[in-house]
Amino acid sequence: MAAHAHKVKRYHGLLDWLTTVDHKKIGILYLLAGGLFFLVGGLEAILIRIQLIKPMNNFVGADTFNELITMHGTTMIFLAAMPLLFALMNAVIPLQIGARDVAFPFLNALGFWTFFFGGLLLNISWFAGNVPDAGWTSYVPLASPTYNSGHGVDYYVLGLQIAGIGTLLGGVNFMATIINMRAPGMSFMRMPMFAWTIFITSALIVFAFPVLTVGLVALMFDRLFQANFFETASGGSAVLWEHVFWVFGHPEVYILILPAFGVISEVVSTFARKRLFGYSSMVFATVLIAFLGFMVWAHHMFTTGLGPVANALFSIATMLIAVPTGVKVFNWLFTLWGGSIRFTAASMFAIGFIPTFVMGGVTGVMLAVAPADYQYHDTYFVVGHFHYVIVGGLVFSIFAGLHYWWPKMFGRMLNEWIGKLTFWTFFIGFHLTFFVQHFLGLLGMPRRVWTYLPNQGFDTMNLISTIGAFLMGVATIAFLVNVVVTSAKPRNAKADAWEDGRSLEWSIPSPPPEYNFKQLPLVRGFDAWWKEKMEGHTEMTPAEPPGPIHMPSPSFLPLIMSIGLFIAGFGFMYDKLYLAIGGIAVTLFCMFLRSVFDDHGFHIEEEEQEKGVHA
Amino acid sequence: MSSGNHSVSEGEARRHKVEGPRKHIVAFVLSLALTLIAFAAVAAGEINTQFTYIILVGMAMIQVFVQLAFWMHMKDRGHMFPIIGIAFGVIVVFTMVIMASYWVWW
Amino acid sequence: MSAHEIANGQLPHEPEKATLEGRNKVLGFWLFLGAETVLFGTLFSAFLALRHNIGDGPKPSELFELPMVFAATMILLFSSLMSVFAVQAMHRNQVKPMLGWLLITIVLGLAFLGLEIYEFTNYVKEGHRMNTSAFSSSFYTLVGFHGAHVAFGVLWIGLLILQILKKGLTVVTAPKIYVSAIYWHFIDVVWVFIFTVVYLMGKVG
Repeated sequence: MAAHAHKVKRYHGLLDWLTTVDHKKIGILYLLAGGLFFLVGGLEAILIRIQLIKPMNNFVGADTFNELITMHGTTMIFLAAMPLLFALMNAVIPLQIGARDVAFPFLNALGFWTFFFGGLLLNISWFAGNVPDAGWTSYVPLASPTYNSGHGVDYYVLGLQIAGIGTLLGGVNFMATIINMRAPGMSFMRMPMFAWTIFITSALIVFAFPVLTVGLVALMFDRLFQANFFETASGGSAVLWEHVFWVFGHPEVYILILPAFGVISEVVSTFARKRLFGYSSMVFATVLIAFLGFMVWAHHMFTTGLGPVANALFSIATMLIAVPTGVKVFNWLFTLWGGSIRFTAASMFAIGFIPTFVMGGVTGVMLAVAPADYQYHDTYFVVGHFHYVIVGGLVFSIFAGLHYWWPKMFGRMLNEWIGKLTFWTFFIGFHLTFFVQHFLGLLGMPRRVWTYLPNQGFDTMNLISTIGAFLMGVATIAFLVNVVVTSAKPRNAKADAWEDGRSLEWSIPSPPPEYNFKQLPLVRGFDAWWKEKMEGHTEMTPAEPPGPIHMPSPSFLPLIMSIGLFIAGFGFMYDKLYLAIGGIAVTLFCMFLRSVFDDHGFHIEEEEQEKGVHA
Repeated sequence: MSSGNHSVSEGEARRHKVEGPRKHIVAFVLSLALTLIAFAAVAAGEINTQFTYIILVGMAMIQVFVQLAFWMHMKDRGHMFPIIGIAFGVIVVFTMVIMASYWVWW
Repeated sequence: MSAHEIANGQLPHEPEKATLEGRNKVLGFWLFLGAETVLFGTLFSAFLALRHNIGDGPKPSELFELPMVFAATMILLFSSLMSVFAVQAMHRNQVKPMLGWLLITIVLGLAFLGLEIYEFTNYVKEGHRMNTSAFSSSFYTLVGFHGAHVAFGVLWIGLLILQILKKGLTVVTAPKIYVSAIYWHFIDVVWVFIFTVVYLMGKVG
């Protein structure tokens, strides 16, 4: 091989993290950044609940309350939930499909940094004193320049635009990775369920995010260049924004929940020590949910007045989604049925997920009934519903996934006792907070209103809800304590950390070496690693002879490109044309450098491959 | 990465060697004709609006199909995922066009 | 085998698909084009929803001039054909003709851009500005997005010509040429819908 001549500069310490293109490290970066934004969004939630703890409370003013709910929603969806999913995806997917890397390691790093700087831009609004306050849906005309003349919504528009680029890149990357980089023998129908759901989620990202991009561009043009997309007086249409937002927004909720389904499938089947029940029906249900997810956006708009035909169509289409979702729920139950279940923190989160998510699904079908929706619309019933699916669904599964894959990511087992404490406080706190909100909604308490009068039957339930929110805060702190305690322990997790691992990631050391697989494995069936273990093997059959392994070089460019966009964002917002052009020029110049200078990467020779690898 | 690098078979390679510009010129002439029909339908100005729309959209769709198949090599082997990708994009766009035409103004 | 190792030997047939990196690039780019389809689709939807709301501005049938649109269409169609020839030359490993075709492609692209800039300045003179009406906003955004794509394509293919001159045609540069040709065709495909939906349908009323 002629490639030994290339010497690639390798960085250490902080510089290593800023330049890394290794999917495992990028996964950890996503975890750190997503976790940070999760804490920020959680703090905002606690402040909201303190404000609502009693009637006519004056803890925060009405304006601040609007800012808090807007930033809580936006942060949690775009900057916490999605990055935490990307953390799991990055940490696990290449390992599960038996690949040494993702298809585009450079783009992967770029995706992380654009997300991070987009999120940063959005949150800097707190310090700039102009916080978005038009709700996470940013409906016009409330978000239009006429009714929102400050820079608040500009931060929303530009922050999300930049973060959205990162997400789109991630979607393209993981689709290409799963299509092209699977190990020999790993056919589509042998892929672990988590890999399938990430594949479908990535497709949803690729087809849904451009819609948001256009919506945000239109809103930005309205706000910055006096365009008239949503200005009714000049012929624009406010309803158009609702459509565009929800054509993106509804697939977005499936982007969030499908990976959760994948995590639950993995965890349930591992800890029930059984093959996942109804694998092919699971795959089919995933694809069907994704497809239907694009056809139901107008159920967010029943009260807009689309007319009885449209309402009826979207109502029925929405109820249809309950069918493939029901298939999944029964498959999990049948996987548990007759299994020898181990109750670890991870499996408790997964098992807790099932009834919780079913409740969220049932209220979803209730909301899908268009006439009934006129009653529920914009009440706390809706708030209860979507927190049941997003927190009860997604956050439970993220906790399950983190407890499950922590040893694979960091080489250390999380403390089981604190993990179970986390589960019980979070589970009880969650149901305390949100179960009563359904009834608050049915009693007529509107959402997004900063306070309420006493003696309407709202008082006790709001108090209960706030207590529950504090319990969830305690659970989050318990998890953080767990992380700190664990990080002080020796790095001694076994390769097959739970001893019941089924998929390929458990066949390699924890944490895996930089190149993941010394020799690419030969996959001989579904649950590839389990199959080998059952036949008495202690490692996968290799599909290639050992040899030097080619790796991509680290690069500063993704970081600098994202900083360029970040600067351009400020330029657009404050009408500083030179900043906008300068920022974009930095980004384009980095693209130029990337195109002109080929990345030859470097090789890890056979004799170096064992270095630093933990057995 | 050493697995399956050469997905191109010998026969296909030979076919590409000799593939002349003929098919692409046919596609070009076809595109040209479809464009001309569309412009002529409008320039003539005699046909009623509804029917003109049908002609215009029909011509555009055929032309795009021709270009995707020949110029963008979608008809060639190994293009399953590009076809799925573009097709799904088209489905999403189609629902949005219906949305824009019927449900924004009513 | 990584990309640059093959580069030392004989160039294979269809060099854009010879390495895993190349195949990833082609596939990833197609997926990106799927996203672009939706992006332009959303812009078209917005335009369709708003195109009749012209406010006090000029009517599209008064504004648009068919000869100019026809000229722009022909230029773009020709340039699309030129990039087909470039890819064919690449498959035959004929570097010089390939560069020639690419050069004609971007010259035509520049001509298209010039025509579009001339067209837009005329419209502004006639009182058709970004802030005139919902129609004008959605018109400039849709057609402007397309124009920006053309401009990016011209810069990109121009850069690739320089790269080929310096590095030659290898399994690293070939996928870039192939992918940029696909991108250029895609721009033409979008233009087919723009001249149909925006200009011709606007002319009809």
